[in-house]
Amino acid sequence: MNETIAKEHLSEEQIDQDLLKNVNWGGKFKLWMGFLTVSLIICLYYYYQQLQNGLGVTGLHDYVSWGIYISNFVFFVATSLIGMLVSSVLGMMKVDWVRPVSRIAELVAVAFAMVAGLIIITDMGRPDRLLNVFIHGRVQSPIVWDIAVVVTYVAISALLLYIPMLPDIALCRDKLNNVPKWQQKMYQRLSLGWNNTAKQFRLMNRYTRMLLILIIPIALSIHTVTSWLFAMTLRSGWDSPIFGPYFVSGAFVAGCAAVIIAMYFFRSNYKLKDYITSDHFDRMGKLLVLVALVYVYFNINEIIVPGYKANTADAKHVHEMLYGHDSVMFWLVQLGGLVIPFLLILFRPMRKPLPLTIIAVIILAGAWFKRVLIVVPTQLAPYYPIQNVPEAWSGYSPTTPEIAITIASFILVLMIITVLAKLFPVVPIWEVKEEMNHNNNK
Amino acid sequence: MKNNKRYKLIILFCLCFLAVANVNAQSDWQVPAKDNENLSPFLFDDDMILEGRVAYENSCTSCHGTPGQDDFTPMSPPPGDPAAEQFQAQSDGSLFYKIKMGRASMPKFEDAFADDELWNIVAYIRSFNENYKQQLPNMEGVEIPVYAMKLSFDQNVDKLVVKVLAEELPQAEVSVSAYVMGTFGKHLLGKAQTNELGIAYVDVDPALPGDAEGKVNVLVKATKEFARAKVQQDLAIAMPTEIHSAIEGRHIWSTDRMAPIWLKITFFVSVFGVWFALLFIVFGLRNIKRAREES
Repeated sequence: MNETIAKEHLSEEQIDQDLLKNVNWGGKFKLWMGFLTVSLIICLYYYYQQLQNGLGVTGLHDYVSWGIYISNFVFFVATSLIGMLVSSVLGMMKVDWVRPVSRIAELVAVAFAMVAGLIIITDMGRPDRLLNVFIHGRVQSPIVWDIAVVVTYVAISALLLYIPMLPDIALCRDKLNNVPKWQQKMYQRLSLGWNNTAKQFRLMNRYTRMLLILIIPIALSIHTVTSWLFAMTLRSGWDSPIFGPYFVSGAFVAGCAAVIIAMYFFRSNYKLKDYITSDHFDRMGKLLVLVALVYVYFNINEIIVPGYKANTADAKHVHEMLYGHDSVMFWLVQLGGLVIPFLLILFRPMRKPLPLTIIAVIILAGAWFKRVLIVVPTQLAPYYPIQNVPEAWSGYSPTTPEIAITIASFILVLMIITVLAKLFPVVPIWEVKEEMNHNNNK
Repeated sequence: MKNNKRYKLIILFCLCFLAVANVNAQSDWQVPAKDNENLSPFLFDDDMILEGRVAYENSCTSCHGTPGQDDFTPMSPPPGDPAAEQFQAQSDGSLFYKIKMGRASMPKFEDAFADDELWNIVAYIRSFNENYKQQLPNMEGVEIPVYAMKLSFDQNVDKLVVKVLAEELPQAEVSVSAYVMGTFGKHLLGKAQTNELGIAYVDVDPALPGDAEGKVNVLVKATKEFARAKVQQDLAIAMPTEIHSAIEGRHIWSTDRMAPIWLKITFFVSVFGVWFALLFIVFGLRNIKRAREES
């Protein structure tokens, strides 16, 4: 039984019709966008407050200067990494079943990577001085490396979304006559005069392959460098040589979960049951098990190695995690957000679309709090004791503006994905057809 | 046989008695009467207490603990807490003598501290006693000479030369102690007595690090009975130190201009390399457009 490639019963016209159906500006979309816009405006009001009064409106202070903004940034970068795993690694290994979901993975990657850069700006007390990072940045600083790779990754992900979409844009141009004029013009421009010639396909495949190869080191370095923002400092809990692979493996877990959620959403809302099948969920579930296993392995290393040696600062950090101040969140995240979900997905019924999506939501929430656990507790245990400062500085709790601005970043991601998924087909039509023809000719 | 046993018992008794007597004698630290009555020539003020505190924390805390906390190290005989009654019941002279001369496990601080520094410690110990009233010596009829000092350095033998004068006349048998002032306190250079020409020589370690010109700040004290004088002066007696900025040279922590070359090359080559490839693809998109025209 392999449902992912069993589409012989569909005609090409049927496929076009099914997959282009979502490209419209229906009432549901307007309602959803309206809701997102209103929520975003409310959140932006809080950002206005932060701009006016500075970072004082947040719970950040001299000791915890990286709070949920930076945790959220790490989470966003992590989630965006899935584009590389699905479309590049699996794509180049000719794993055919990922083709219908690879665009969804790219959408998730582009949206999260774009907003990740913005989150950094919200963490700045003086965003008007942003340019100074470029003018006066030191090549030795991991922050400069991070900016370089984040910008590059956004560009490369956008290209990787766009170039393989050319035949589908051309299809939109040819078949969609009832869309607004500007949209038709946009398809006209973006399709680059595509008319399915062999040479065009050859060029497209060449550029796509170049990008697929290029994105692997870039994606690995984007998250490795993000981990180095922490690991390059001498702080217990961050001072770890395995932070790079630890972050990358964690990123795949978060990304897989995000893609599963997006898959479920598109499948049920766009009625794509024939294209994104329950078999896709089954396989994504298995992929999630694999990456979660790797992540669990790194988590064990991260705790047991410093915990066994127990030098003063590390022992304190591990203690806080296992039984101390952060233990509730730690065990909720590790057991509830990682180990138990991953054990559940081992059973076939749990890899059905709905249960898997629910588990993915839990894993994604766990992944977010996991980033908070990585970022915040270390700063509350500096080598010099916290003393002669206001009482509140010995802890950290995010304020309303901080939470609202963080929610705004999620709203932005949803908006980007929504708009892109309304402008373009979310399942690559030409690839589905190609695959079907290929199977029919066998 | 019976007699023999009795003798043995008597001898045993005697031995026990001797042992106990010996222990008693040890716990009873006799200070010579003259030293016991010795009085500080200085009025114990806050400055003295502060200096005494620094000296105490460096040299005494490890055994005597923090005064008033009863946290002294358990030893035999116990060192005791300086704030305790047993300590405070002693005369100033007795405290001074015991610190200076030491006994058994109590070290002798004669070489470590000058007399005035020993009095600083006594002042600090007394600061824990609210009922203490300092007894000052009777200075009637005592004439205290006013010392002046001249410092110089003899390069040939690496010696600091201190000449002590009073009203232009050289002063013999004056105790001279010289220190090098550091950021966190003073470092004893040496102690000496002036000869009949009023000159004292203090050895200087030629490897002593100084500033860029080899200068160090030297403090010299001269004391004899109640007379004392102090002089502090920059002297070129040490090795010149070449000071390098921590960000000088190409290091990971230097300024951007001085970033390590390998890092600059790696960073810029990879960033520009990737962007070059991306631009190649973006410009290559025109070929896709052209491919249509050809067909």
